[in-house]
Formats: sequence, C-alpha cells, structure tokens
Amino acid sequence: MTTSLDQQKRDQQERRKATWRRFTSHPSLMIGTVILVLLVAIALAAPWLAPYSPTRTSLINTLQDASWAHPLGTDQFGRDVLSRLIHGTRVSLLVAFWVVTLSLIIGTIVGGIAGFFGGWIDRSINVVNDILMAFPGFLLALAIVATQGSSLESVIIAVSIAYTPRVIAVMRSVALTIRPRPFIEASRSIGMTSTRILLRHVIPNALPPVIVVATLSAASAILAEAGLSFLGLGVRPPIPTWGNIIADGQASITTNPLISISSGLCIAAMVIALNLIGDGLRDALDPQMRRQTAKIL
Amino acid sequence: MLGHVGRTLLRLFVTGLGIASVAFFLMRAIPGDPASFMLGDYATKESITALRAKLGLDEPVWRQYTLFLSHAATGNFGTSVVTGQPALQEVMASIPSSAVLALSGLFIAILIGLPLGIVCAVRNGTWVDVSVMLGALAGISFPVFWMGLAAILLFSYWIPIFPALGSSNSKDILTQIYHLILPALVLGVSIAAYIARLTRSAMLEVLSQDYIRVARAMGVPERRIIFKLALRNALVPILAVIGVTFAWSFGNAILIEAVFSRPGLGSMLLKAILARDYQLVQAGVLILAFMVVLINASLDLTYTLIDPRLKAS
Repeated sequence: MTTSLDQQKRDQQERRKATWRRFTSHPSLMIGTVILVLLVAIALAAPWLAPYSPTRTSLINTLQDASWAHPLGTDQFGRDVLSRLIHGTRVSLLVAFWVVTLSLIIGTIVGGIAGFFGGWIDRSINVVNDILMAFPGFLLALAIVATQGSSLESVIIAVSIAYTPRVIAVMRSVALTIRPRPFIEASRSIGMTSTRILLRHVIPNALPPVIVVATLSAASAILAEAGLSFLGLGVRPPIPTWGNIIADGQASITTNPLISISSGLCIAAMVIALNLIGDGLRDALDPQMRRQTAKIL
Repeated sequence: MLGHVGRTLLRLFVTGLGIASVAFFLMRAIPGDPASFMLGDYATKESITALRAKLGLDEPVWRQYTLFLSHAATGNFGTSVVTGQPALQEVMASIPSSAVLALSGLFIAILIGLPLGIVCAVRNGTWVDVSVMLGALAGISFPVFWMGLAAILLFSYWIPIFPALGSSNSKDILTQIYHLILPALVLGVSIAAYIARLTRSAMLEVLSQDYIRVARAMGVPERRIIFKLALRNALVPILAVIGVTFAWSFGNAILIEAVFSRPGLGSMLLKAILARDYQLVQAGVLILAFMVVLINASLDLTYTLIDPRLKAS
C-alpha cells in the first residue's frame, strides 16, 4: 500500500518536473511570463511605487524635463509622468484579465455547444459568430463604446465582444474534432449526459488551443483599449491609462517626447509579454496545434 | 466552380444582413432615448419629439427594423443630423482618402512582409530568422498610433525629410503622394509584421511535407522548390491572412488618420461620434464592415484560381 502511494507521489513529482522542463525549454514562454509577473507586481504595488499622486496637478511644474524629482518629467498639467505610467499599468492589466476571463468562459461554452451538438445549433451559432468576425475588431469596439459611453466597464465589454468570436471559432473547431473520438462514445455508453460529457471531457480536452487564442486575443485587446483611450473614447481622464498618456504627450511631442515614447514602450512591453506567452504555449503544448490556431490569428 | 461561387454569394448575403442588423441594434442599445441623447442636454421638448418622429422612433421596434433594412437595401442610411446631407453621401465622400491609405499600406506590407517571411522559413533557425522574427514581434506589439508619432518625431522634426501632416490641399499629385509616404509606411510596417509571421509559419509547414523531400531527393533546384512547389501551396493561408489584415488596415487607418490629421473614414467617424451624429456613425460602421466582407469574399473566390483543389470541395 505504502509503496504504491510512494510510487504515485514519485510519478506526480516526475510529471511536475517534466512540465517545468517543458516550460523552461521555451525561452519565449519564460521571458513573457517574467515580464507579465513584473507588470502584475507593479500594478498591485502602484500606490507605494509611484513617487507622486497620478492625478495631482501642479500649475508651476508643467512640462518639466526629466530630472531626479521627476524621472520622466511632467505633463501639461504638471502631473508626474512616471507615477501616471505606474498607475496606468492597472487599466491595461484589468482589460487583459477581463478579456481573457470573459472570452474563455463564453468562448468555451458557446463554441463547445456548437461543435459538440452540431446540427442547427451549430449552424445558427456559426452564422452569428461569422457576422461578428466580419467586423474589424477595433471598429466594432469603437462603435460599441460610442453608443455605450466611455467607462472602464464599457471598454471591457466592447473589447470582449470584439475579440470573443475568435475564441468561439477555435473552440468550435476543436470540439468538432473531439466529438467522433472513441472516449466520447465510451462516456455515452456508460450513461453520461451530454452536458456532463461537454463539461468533463470536451472542454478540458479542447482547452490548450483555446487558451493560446485567448492569450493572443488579450494582446490585441490591450492595443484596442490603448487605441480607444488615445482617441479619447476609452477610459475617461483623469484616470491614467497608457493610451491617454500618449494622447496627452502628443501636443508636446517635439519638446517633451519622453511622455508619449515611454508610455508606448509600456504598452509594447505588455503586448510583447502576452504574444510571447501565447506563441510559447502554442509551441510547448502541442506542435500540431499551430494548424488550428494559426488561421484565426 | 459554380457551386463555390453560389455558396460564397449566399454567405455574402447572410453576412450583409447580419452586419445591418448589428448596426441597427447598436443604435437601439444607446441607453435611454436616442433622440434626446443625440441632441444633448439643452434640447427642447419639441425638437426631441420632432427628431423622434424623423428617426421613426415612435414605431414599434420590429417595424423600425424592417424599415431600416428596406431603406438600407436601397442605399438610404438616413441623413446626418449635423450637416443635413444624406449619410451615404458623407461616408462615400470620405472613403477614397482612407482607401488610398489602406491600399498603399497593404501594398508596402506585402512588399516587405512576404519576402521576409519566405527568407525566415528558408533560413529557419539562423540569426536572420531570429532577428527578423524579433523585429516582427515588435511590429505587432507597438501600438500603430505610437509608431506614427515616433515616425513624425524622427522624420519630421529630428531629420526633417517628410511632412508631419498626412494630407495636403494641393492639386499636385506628387505633393499628395509626398504627404502620404509617412502614414502609408507606418501602416505598411505594422501589417508587414503580421504577414511576415504568417508567411514564415505557412512556408515552414509546407516545406516540412513529404513531397518537398521527394523533390529534393530528385534533385529539383532549390529555387524551384521554394517558389514553384512550396510558395504556391503556402499562398492560400497567406492570402487568407492578407484578407484579415485588410480589415485591420482599415481599423488601423482610423488611428493613423488621427495621428497625421488626415481626412478620411476614421476622422469622419470620430467627428460623428463626438457630435453624437449616430445616423452617420451607423452608416459609416455598416458600409466599412460591408466593404471588408466584400473584399474577403472576392479574395475567397481567387483562392480557387490558385488552388484548384478547392473547386471540388
């Protein structure tokens, strides 16, 4: 009894080691994760890290150059740019978090139902999904924010609606390939209900490619959020977001280029991290998965 | 062949209907009363009632919906509340400028992205591959409007060779092209990054297949293998991606127009959104989305010319 338990424990350790090896042998996955963890830490510690309040204006300190007091200078309202960048991390991370969460939940359920049940359910879901995918993602998000007003919530909803259809499409195509496999037939023959099979077998087995697409979609979502904020349609000022910091810096781009430049580098760091994680997961989980996800993105 | 064309046209029709429905319900989803929202806080009761009647908001929703669809089918998208012009006319007037930007951007993107992707696949794993792919990763990760600002800073202020304005009123075609270069380059580089990544992975997949190994064993020259045997087969997924990037190039063109203060669909939409001119927003979104669908459908039809196998399926 004890030996078999020991064996089990050893097996588990062995498996954990193998997973770790796979993780460390993909540098893009490692680098992406490190950047993302760093950004999460910055977002969580923002109030303690930021040297000044991100919204406190100071009319005698407008458009200062970089100095020891203000490492990235100040904007046209005298606000410390570094503090605004640090706090801006929160909005971008929130958008990424919610888009991944919402698109995973909605995408796996809707796509799973379509692919697993087939027939008219599949056809009707597919038609609606194709229509949503026909819109350029940014345009759809722009139209939704334009009608729903600018706030963090409506930006998250708009961007999620724009980028979930890709996840649904991938989930559906993977579910289609799982449906005819023998273990599904076997589950049915022991009397499992369709809902249970969907939740216990189809969705867990389809998750890897779906997670990859959701991660890469989050990268696009962050760029879309930044674009909306840049146009003045995203999260409202004075809440700092990387997109509206670039817009603030646009007027003084020739005299104080640091404002816009540094904010763009922050966006790129976050998007690069998500792209690296998505690419790395794709390579690490299954090489043949490339085919399933590559066409969508 | 005819079956494929028929199916494509049917799908086109269904998608077009769907786009119109989405555009309709987006307008209906405005919280509260659209008429008073459009007129702002200082509107009188009479003007709101008049606008409600004009927009047909007093009718039941299904009646509004069918009216909207039948009007849209005949090219009637209502009138702009701000200018009083038909919305279709306003949108159409702003399309050429955006189309020129999007098309020249796409042209530059294919010119840069396709060869780079092929080189990376052929020299897979070498420093050329790694450095080009790192560059492409940066290209898809930097916001396109930020690249536009950086380009203005670099090429209009520090090394002043291009104008910071993306358009000019001059009738001279050369002056207009001169103003177009910088925005088109920025758009092109951002899309080239996507095309290079996808071309590389499509080519890698084809190059790893058995018939390529057979061709190599038979001594077919490498140049012929790459361009005749591999590229032609990789071209279908690449074309699909170019179709998708075309949709993006319009989305990105909105942001680039804002950076370079260039007139076009993007700046028209933005102005309409800020003025709460929703008839115009609706028409712009609808027509833009429909254009993208049309282009994708025509690309879909050209696949059959490149890949005869698709005719059968």
